[in-house]
Amino acid sequence: MSGNLKLASAGGGSVTVTTPSTASNLTLTLPSATGTVATIAGTETLTNKTLVASGSNTVEATSGPTSTQLAGIRNKIINGAMMIDQRNAGASVTPTADQTYTVDRWQMRLTQSSKFSVQQNAGSVTPPAGFTKYLGITSLSSYSVGASDLFSIEQAIEGLNCSDLAWGTASAATVTLSFWVRSSLTGTFGGSLLNSALNRSYPFSYSISSANTWTQISVTIAGDTSGTWLTTNGAGILVTFGLGVGSSSSGTAGSWAGAQYWSATGATSVVGTNGATWYVTGVQLEKGATATPFENRLYGTELALCQRYYWSGANGWAGVFNTASTARFSGSYPVEMRSAPTITAIAAPTALNPTVSESQTGSQTTGFSAPASGGSIGTTSASKIQFGGFSSGADGRPSVLTNSPLAFSSEL
Amino acid sequence: MYRLINVIDQYTHQITGQNLERLTDNAFIPFDPANTDYQTFKREVSEGVELQDPDGNVMTQEEVDAFLRTIP
Repeated sequence: MSGNLKLASAGGGSVTVTTPSTASNLTLTLPSATGTVATIAGTETLTNKTLVASGSNTVEATSGPTSTQLAGIRNKIINGAMMIDQRNAGASVTPTADQTYTVDRWQMRLTQSSKFSVQQNAGSVTPPAGFTKYLGITSLSSYSVGASDLFSIEQAIEGLNCSDLAWGTASAATVTLSFWVRSSLTGTFGGSLLNSALNRSYPFSYSISSANTWTQISVTIAGDTSGTWLTTNGAGILVTFGLGVGSSSSGTAGSWAGAQYWSATGATSVVGTNGATWYVTGVQLEKGATATPFENRLYGTELALCQRYYWSGANGWAGVFNTASTARFSGSYPVEMRSAPTITAIAAPTALNPTVSESQTGSQTTGFSAPASGGSIGTTSASKIQFGGFSSGADGRPSVLTNSPLAFSSEL
Repeated sequence: MYRLINVIDQYTHQITGQNLERLTDNAFIPFDPANTDYQTFKREVSEGVELQDPDGNVMTQEEVDAFLRTIP
């Protein structure tokens, strides 16, 4: 049979199945009760058509790349899988100062010191499938949160990395925050997205119904059309998870506010229970109203992304002694940093004199300084530093650092 | 607590600039407005946290305020 097939409907209308002009044999399989709606056998291309899934249905390809895979870097969170821990190398820390960094890019806000221990893979539980690391936080007391108290874990996203969201304009894009979370507590927890001026915030809440069980959370947030959201190398969006936030810093979940809200009103206080745990990994903030699978970037890529904000090292930096006890070293950074970094000595330097194969150790503190000459200590790509405390140098003698005594920070 | 350190040209022996040291951890902070430690320094010394001149003398608040007006 050739031509079109016209089926008359009891309602008076009709359905026409049109035969395309083709030399091949195509098959249209009608839907069964729960099966495939339509199958195109052979090779066929859908052109200028949109496949729409309604309700809880999905549209998916059984082979070939999906639009998700082809979307490039989607996740605006760096180190969302908690893989990189340059500062602590997996060791536990107990933050005593506000804005203490834990694993890379994640800092703790606190108004009381020593209320939490923080550690990559604390408690050694099995991470969610597809992950090997998580950020583990353990409450060290049963602290009653006051109205002005704030305990949270946060990542500040650089404005340059979220400028495409156009927040603060009428074109503000919707974003979706997704993450895996596990706690010894159950209930409603909270967090928030804030701008750098801390005068715009979107508190959100999420539920953990089963203790000590990894739960995947997805929160979709309509972009903020108001306020100032930096698109520079300053902080664009602060993504924060509340661990105990007082009433004056908590707001109604699910709407934008012209206020500094760090969590949702009524959220569970992790700091309120001694020994309570709260673990997180797979944090992803992406453009769009749908949470896509976590974007696993190459380890080296993720490390380089982190090093824009912090790195430690200087092994191999070349220098020269300018006195018997002091030597000046200079070198470049592994990546361009966000700003000129703060430079701190984290270990005593070990310097090798290659001409006489002599190695000697200087002092981490005595004589550590910017060079007495030569201008500014550093730029976004390189710096110079002077170490003292050496015992047997000589003016003009070349030297090279053979350990990693310096830390460079340009965190947000 | 912070301290200013003079940068001295090794040939002319002229002061060519200054560096900033945070005395609590001996860190060097650049005069970069995008650096958050620098932002904290400006806020803290304007609120009264101690700033020493290159000779180690504690600067008065008037001196600090005058200095802040000269930096980015």
